[in-house]
Parts: sequence; C-alpha cells; structure tokens
Amino acid sequence: MAMAALRREGRRLATVISPQPITALRASLVYEEQAPLGVRSISTQVVRNRMKSVKNIQKITKAMKMVAASKLRAIQVRAENSRGLWQPFTALLGDTPSVDVKKNVIVTISSDKGLCGGINSTSVKISKALHKINSGPEKESKYVVLGEKAKAQLIRDSKKHIEIIFTELQKNPLNYTQVSVLADDILKNVEYDALRIVFNKFHSVVSFLPTTFTVLSPEIVEREAESGGSLGDLDSYEIEGGETKAEILQNLTEFQFSCVLFNAVLENACSEQGARMSAMDSSSRNAGEMLDRLTLTYNRTRQASITTELIEIISGASALEG
Amino acid sequence: MASNAAVPFWRAAGMTYITYSNICANLVRNCLKEPYKTEVLSREKVHFSVSKWVDGKPQKPTLRSDTPEA
Repeated sequence: MAMAALRREGRRLATVISPQPITALRASLVYEEQAPLGVRSISTQVVRNRMKSVKNIQKITKAMKMVAASKLRAIQVRAENSRGLWQPFTALLGDTPSVDVKKNVIVTISSDKGLCGGINSTSVKISKALHKINSGPEKESKYVVLGEKAKAQLIRDSKKHIEIIFTELQKNPLNYTQVSVLADDILKNVEYDALRIVFNKFHSVVSFLPTTFTVLSPEIVEREAESGGSLGDLDSYEIEGGETKAEILQNLTEFQFSCVLFNAVLENACSEQGARMSAMDSSSRNAGEMLDRLTLTYNRTRQASITTELIEIISGASALEG
Repeated sequence: MASNAAVPFWRAAGMTYITYSNICANLVRNCLKEPYKTEVLSREKVHFSVSKWVDGKPQKPTLRSDTPEA
C-alpha cells in the first residue's frame, strides 16, 4: 500500500509538470494533504506511518503467540490425560462412524474466538459432509453447535437444521462438570439414534486431524449387537446387580457421550491454541518481512531526495561561479 | 452396591446418568478436607450460554452459570 502511495505521489508530480486536462489534475489533487503543490521531494510521511503501524501489529501478534503458547501448555496436559476416558468405551462399544440410522445429530465443536487458522472451517466442512451423507428421504440430521465460529459459518446455509447452539464455553477453564452438564442438556433436548461429534484432534502444535466420534443410542447399540459386527461380543459380558441390559446400556451411552464430549472439547481447545500459535508466528514473520521491504523503500526514497538536493545545490553553486 | 436399588428412582425423577454421577461426584468432593475442598469445588465451575433454534430462528439465549445441579 505504501508503495502504491509512493507511485501515486510520483504520478501527481508528473501531472503537475505536464499540461493535462483539468479533470485529471483535479483527480490527482486528492492527495494534496500530504504535500502541498510544488514541493519537490516526495513525502516519506506515509511510509513512516505505515512502518510504525506494521511494527505495532508485529508486537501484538508476537504477544498473542506467547499467550497462546502458555495456554497451550496448560491445556495440552489435560487433553492428553482425558484421552484415557474414551479409550475403554471404544474398546467396549467400538467406534462405528458408518452406522446407518434415521436420526443423526451432528455435534460440531469450534472455538469462540478467531485468529486461529482453519480449524473451525475444517470442522464445519466435515460436519456439512456428514450432514450430506446422513440426510435422505427417510433420514434426518440436525446440528448441535458449540462455539461462536461454527455458528457464524453454519447460519449462512444450514439455518433450518440447527437445533441448539452453545457458546461461552471457555470462560472458566474447561472442566468435566461443565462439559457433562452440557452433554446432559444435549441429551435431554434432542432425539437421536446416533450422535456424531466433530472436532479437531490435537497431534502436535502444527497438525490436528479433523475427527468424528460416533455415540449410538442404546436401542441402536442393541440392534447392532444382535446383527453381529464389531459390537457382536457385547453379550459375552456379564452384568452384575439387578439391572437389565437395556438400563445398563442407557447409562453407558449417556456416560460415554459426556466422556467423549469432554475429550473432544479439550482436544479442540488444544488444537485451537496450537493453530493460533502457528498463525500468530507466521503473521509476525510476515510483518517482519513487510517491515524490511518498507524500510528498504523508505531509505531508497530518502537517499534519492538527498541526492537530488545535493545536485541542485552543487549545480546552483557552479552556475553562480561560472 | 447400595446404589443399584436407587437406579429406577433417579430415572423416574427425570435425571440422566450424567446428572446422577455429577451429584455423586459432588458429594465425594464435599467429603474432602479443607485445603483441598475449596480448591476442588472452585475448579468445577459451570458457565455457558444455550440458545435453542426453532424453524431456523434462534430463541432467546439462556445462561447456565455455576449451577452444576440445575
């Protein structure tokens, strides 16, 4: 932009020198505040201001990177610890993303704040794909949205399918009580055969995989178990106490959902901080590059104007002498 | 396993397993001794806002804050 301003300044000088139609001249007079008409040297004020603002932006992005890094460290430990919560469930009930049921509920997890790269759009994209796969004449799928950012993206074209939206999750540090109350709210307010949770699984600071996790309703678990497949050996477990299998399964799915959701929310928060860290890193690097370029332009222009002035003085002096 | 007999009752009260387990967890937390008790209880804060959507329109959002048992 500063380069463009400089170029415009140059053009203005050219129009002043060469006699041109008055309209063209008036158009060029718009830039008159920076340098009054007839000033010989090009004003470097624009570039200087620009440099200052770029420098400030760089400071801000650097600070944001630091904040994200320290938050990431705290949350990463918790996310990794919470992985132990869903692993037993997967061992027991399996993960069946391809299950074909009537009522699908897609739980999209996103962040409340922006400036964290593409993690929110990937989870929205995956949710939309899941929605497309799981909607048909006899089937329906609904969205349950966690976080501002996915909400903003889904409102645009999937308004009709949104069921509930949760926001302001991360005001306090994430904890299990909060997520389980949230899971409870979801379970009470939607009818489901399968809950599909979409989130970004944290791998490292620069890589996170969009992941889905499927939680089946007790009836579907039973149906799948009867038809065999990965759930077939559920019957080989012995049930203690006086409860029936249906009761156990209902408790189990509810608890599974809250545990899986807890892990998903943590993983997503972790990916968010990681993504923000790398985004802020690259933007402060970009700001540095821009600053270098601007400094170069600025110095060149300054030197050029100094040279011009020197030439003028010398040639004036030699004209007097001669 | 004294809790086995209780199952139909909390189910009948409209509670899910999650609510039930949360109440139990809170009871256990309350049994802790003092320095740990306040720390643990202050850690488990609930805060989020819910808005239901009906026919593509958002209803008024409600705030759920610091009410784990509500």
